[in-house]
Amino acid sequence: MGELAVSASADDELVSIGLGSCIGLTLIDRAKAVAALAHVMLPNSAADESAPPGKYADRAVPALIAAAEQAGARRVRLEAVIVGGAQMFKLGSGSTLDVGARNTAAVRVALDAARIPLRAEQTGGSRGRTVRVHVGTARVTVKEAGGQDVALFGGARAPRPTTATGAR
Amino acid sequence: MSTDFTDLQLDALREVANIGSGNAATALAQMLGREVELAVPRALALPLADAVDAVGPADASRSAVVLPIFGDLDAIVLLLFSDADAATLCSLLGVEAGTEWGDSALGEIGNILGTSYINALASLAGVSIEPRPPHVVTDMLGAIVASLLTETAGETDIALVLDSELDVQGVACSMSFLLLPTAGGVTELLARLGMG
Repeated sequence: MGELAVSASADDELVSIGLGSCIGLTLIDRAKAVAALAHVMLPNSAADESAPPGKYADRAVPALIAAAEQAGARRVRLEAVIVGGAQMFKLGSGSTLDVGARNTAAVRVALDAARIPLRAEQTGGSRGRTVRVHVGTARVTVKEAGGQDVALFGGARAPRPTTATGAR
Repeated sequence: MSTDFTDLQLDALREVANIGSGNAATALAQMLGREVELAVPRALALPLADAVDAVGPADASRSAVVLPIFGDLDAIVLLLFSDADAATLCSLLGVEAGTEWGDSALGEIGNILGTSYINALASLAGVSIEPRPPHVVTDMLGAIVASLLTETAGETDIALVLDSELDVQGVACSMSFLLLPTAGGVTELLARLGMG
């Protein structure tokens, strides 16, 4: 939690277990078969400089890009998948906003700022989730509590972009 | 608040947990008509991620009763049952687990135990606090605990967890009882105990 992992080994699987309001943020370079996954807990890092790089959305995105590039990914080919951001409890404490929704929004903003396209997401709701990223096939699956792994992105037959669409 | 606690402060917090969960154990024993044993509580002050790990395996399924506490100090009381323990407890109360009645019974247990716990805390620390209605969910432990701790810890990276185990005698049924004070709540609690 708050950590990030990266792999370029086709047999590896990156996993974030038990995402509630947290976000499992995946960046994938399908052509190079490099994947990186961060377990984001909160939206903004504020003054918490000593925190692990994956903890806050605003710092997790640049840190994850750097880690993926280090492992051989090309930045322009990176695609993002996000999972989590649930609101498991409506505690009605008034001042506390929905951390899950704030996390989701903060990750989107950080991805936009880095010009990484968000290709798939399963966010919101009230259930905990586990995300698995199979590095070799770029297949991302999601399992809700008590459920089965369901494909969210990628896999062997995933379409490959044939033309550059330019920066957005 | 400071991000770390002295051993003396953690001892004081452990004692708070001991007295609070002792009160809760008594209430549970009266409710079930069985003896309830209480393990020595833990007081953990850990970085968020480690605190979540310390509570148990992230992918384990748990029924959770969440009781928000507000007033002079804000906190969350959290009761955790394994699926089997939730089923046993529900059958002791004559309802079926996983149904609306089962959830309602677990919520009521959470309400009674949580109120007993915070009553002890209130008189010990001289604070005025009240519970809000309980929420019952069944989900992955990691998702439950991380979602609550990110609420209580706010922008600090240290989460405080006061953790007790209650064991109902004569049947295989135990539960974890946790107090998760907010960052401001811990400061207030320690100040009231003369440990600030």
